[in-house]
Amino acid sequence: MIANFGYRPHQSILEKIDPRARWIFAFCMLFSIVLFWDLRILSVFFVITLIQFFVSKVTWQETKRAWIFILVLSSIMIFINTIITGVETVGGTIRGGTPLFSLKIPLFETFYVLTVERLWFALTQYLRIISIASLFIILPFTMDPRLYGVTFKGLGFPDKLAYTMDLAFRFIPTIARDFNVTLDAQRARGFEIDKGKMNIFQRIRRMAPLMVPVTMNSILAGEDIANAMDLRCFGLKKRSWIENLHFKTGDFVLIGFSILILVVSLYLRFGLNLGDFWMPGMS
Amino acid sequence: MQTPHSPLPLVVENLTFRYERRELPAIKNISFSIQPGQIILLAGSSGCGKTTLMRCINGLAPTIYKGEMSGKISVFGHDVTQLSLLQLSQHVGTLLQDPERQIVASHVLNEVAFGLENLGVPRLRILQRVDKTLEYLGIDHLKYKETFKLSGGEKQKVALAGVLVMEPKLLLLDEPLASLDPASAAEALKLFKRLAEDGISILLVEHRVEDVLAIEPDLIMFMEDGEITYQGDVKGFLEIADFSKVKLPAEIVAQRAKSIQFPQRTRSFEPDTSSELLRFENVSFQYRQDLPLTLKNINFSIHKGEITAILGHNGAGKTTLVKHALGLLKPTSGTVYLDGKDTRKMTIAEAAHTIGYVFQSPTQMLFAPTVEQELTFGPQNLGFSKEEIQKNVDWAIQTVHLEGEKQTPPLALSFGQQKRVSIASVLSMKSRILMMDEPTAGQDYWNYHSFMSSILDMPGYDAILFITHDLDLAIAYANRVILMANGQIIRDGAPEEVLKDISTLEKAHVLPTSLLSLNLKLLPKTKKFLRAELLANFI
Repeated sequence: MIANFGYRPHQSILEKIDPRARWIFAFCMLFSIVLFWDLRILSVFFVITLIQFFVSKVTWQETKRAWIFILVLSSIMIFINTIITGVETVGGTIRGGTPLFSLKIPLFETFYVLTVERLWFALTQYLRIISIASLFIILPFTMDPRLYGVTFKGLGFPDKLAYTMDLAFRFIPTIARDFNVTLDAQRARGFEIDKGKMNIFQRIRRMAPLMVPVTMNSILAGEDIANAMDLRCFGLKKRSWIENLHFKTGDFVLIGFSILILVVSLYLRFGLNLGDFWMPGMS
Repeated sequence: MQTPHSPLPLVVENLTFRYERRELPAIKNISFSIQPGQIILLAGSSGCGKTTLMRCINGLAPTIYKGEMSGKISVFGHDVTQLSLLQLSQHVGTLLQDPERQIVASHVLNEVAFGLENLGVPRLRILQRVDKTLEYLGIDHLKYKETFKLSGGEKQKVALAGVLVMEPKLLLLDEPLASLDPASAAEALKLFKRLAEDGISILLVEHRVEDVLAIEPDLIMFMEDGEITYQGDVKGFLEIADFSKVKLPAEIVAQRAKSIQFPQRTRSFEPDTSSELLRFENVSFQYRQDLPLTLKNINFSIHKGEITAILGHNGAGKTTLVKHALGLLKPTSGTVYLDGKDTRKMTIAEAAHTIGYVFQSPTQMLFAPTVEQELTFGPQNLGFSKEEIQKNVDWAIQTVHLEGEKQTPPLALSFGQQKRVSIASVLSMKSRILMMDEPTAGQDYWNYHSFMSSILDMPGYDAILFITHDLDLAIAYANRVILMANGQIIRDGAPEEVLKDISTLEKAHVLPTSLLSLNLKLLPKTKKFLRAELLANFI
């Protein structure tokens, strides 16, 4: 299940860039994107992230699960927030609007009105979410797991926190394997995950035979891991890192570009007051 | 080497330690010392205090594990209570039991470098020392590998490299053989011997005493209930040691067991070849198309009354094979018939009616809030009626002698009890074949035998199938051995037939044991293989 998530070299130009520069780029883009609700501006970001995605040479097959997860989750959220309720989501900008069709809601003597504005708003939300997702989804697939610690250290995080990133990537395959073993062990006892119709709570309850052993094993393993780290002096003094990173010209260019994007975005939003919700026909 | 006047690597005097929340001390009045380059074997059953003693020496107790310590430990003349973990780590290195749980980095180079990074050693200096250590251990070829993908033996060497790179002069090894198959264990022991010859002092905690004897430890200490009950040379130990608690060479057990009567088995197993429960027909399997075959043309049947050991080294394909029996994996080609039905055409839940699979570690499957509910899980999934479930659960609890623990959370039980709950939770499904993966893994020697004996005496199933890399387990308990190597069955038959040929064993990377040689020697008199204690009657 989760084991399919991992890094392999793609020989792309992206992997030659210093990961610190890539994370700075991702964060600058993220902070810029969340400033705007204007579809025209968001399209620019969307194109940039799309270019990054294709340059990375990451395949659909690799990232399929991550995408499905994000699309399903965001669709549910957008459907509820925008199509059903979200009239006032962005400060009343789409209150009223042009009705597309209306539906009489029986009991409440009121009408549900789907407006063109709501649809455009939903589209805008999708664009934001997909842009942000494609920024971050490709990172674990294109970044050598050995470099997380030193990258975050380089971005100014403390040693202990930075090393936690390395540790996480070390144990993802272990936890995935434990999960599969437990799944097999419980299936051998007649357990079936998808058995008949269940609501979400029954479904969660049904996961207990899988989640309890996996969690317990992780906790037990945690004690050993902590001991092993203590015995090798982790966190007792400032550590050195054998992985080292060097900024090259291209990296500085990317960082410069990232900062430029953020500065321009901030200026547009707060200097010129641009970037509120927009749809064709609006001035 | 040390001059006669330089302080000893380790001196322990009257050491007593009590954990903060316990009333009684975990270890009492321990005194011993290690000379440079000595190997001391510390043996004892689970819970005897071995781990606590190690924690006191390496500083985890009382720094991390709080408690009350009295007596004195000196490492190279320094009182350990006066040393910080940082200083202590320059002298003492510790290899924990499970290499999987002490490797913290995703790649070998990074793992070995970890300790030196934490000490703030400059990068280039670290890289040199890592290279030197990898070369010393003969694992330079693993340098850029992912740690997750290594074999058990390789993982342990990498974990050891991560400790040795910090250049300790005293090494604590906590049951280093527990997770290794016999061939890797023998190799690891040779390595420890070499470390000692190069001047490192070693305190080796291990209950596989017989295996360790191969490297001639300088001193043996035996611990019981937190106290050292024997301290002396190997010869003296072999004379007095309780062979039901530690594994001694078979010759010695057989000689010393002469006066002891063993209870008879309450249940006897007679193979009945007319009653077939499981059949593999030309089964081959590969995990992915671009990978080599894991199973190659497997053919065999399991009948009523058989206790079958599937024996082979780690990676021979044993687990893949038994997963097919239950339909957890389906053959790439060929067919598995369970009770006459193709496993492709049945669900795993249906297969569980015939075959119950107990996984190696109980913590991989126990989840319920009480033992009773844990046992109910299987039969409930299989759709048994309420009365039937109650009947089966009561019977299973009695069978494993846990009547008093019905309402106890399984995770609050001891490892041995958990193991029995995991067996009972499969027994409660009333499967006809009981299939077990390394049934004795993680148990000390006494539990190992009492556990196996009690399973063989249990009523309620028709056949047992277990997979193991432990040759002696197969000799002592199986009436049939299937020897596997490289995904193939290379021999199949009665243990005395399959195992008599040393060259076949070599082919399967199975190391002969003292129990095997003694059994082969006595076979004309015994007619079948027996465990060491029972051989006493034939000497």
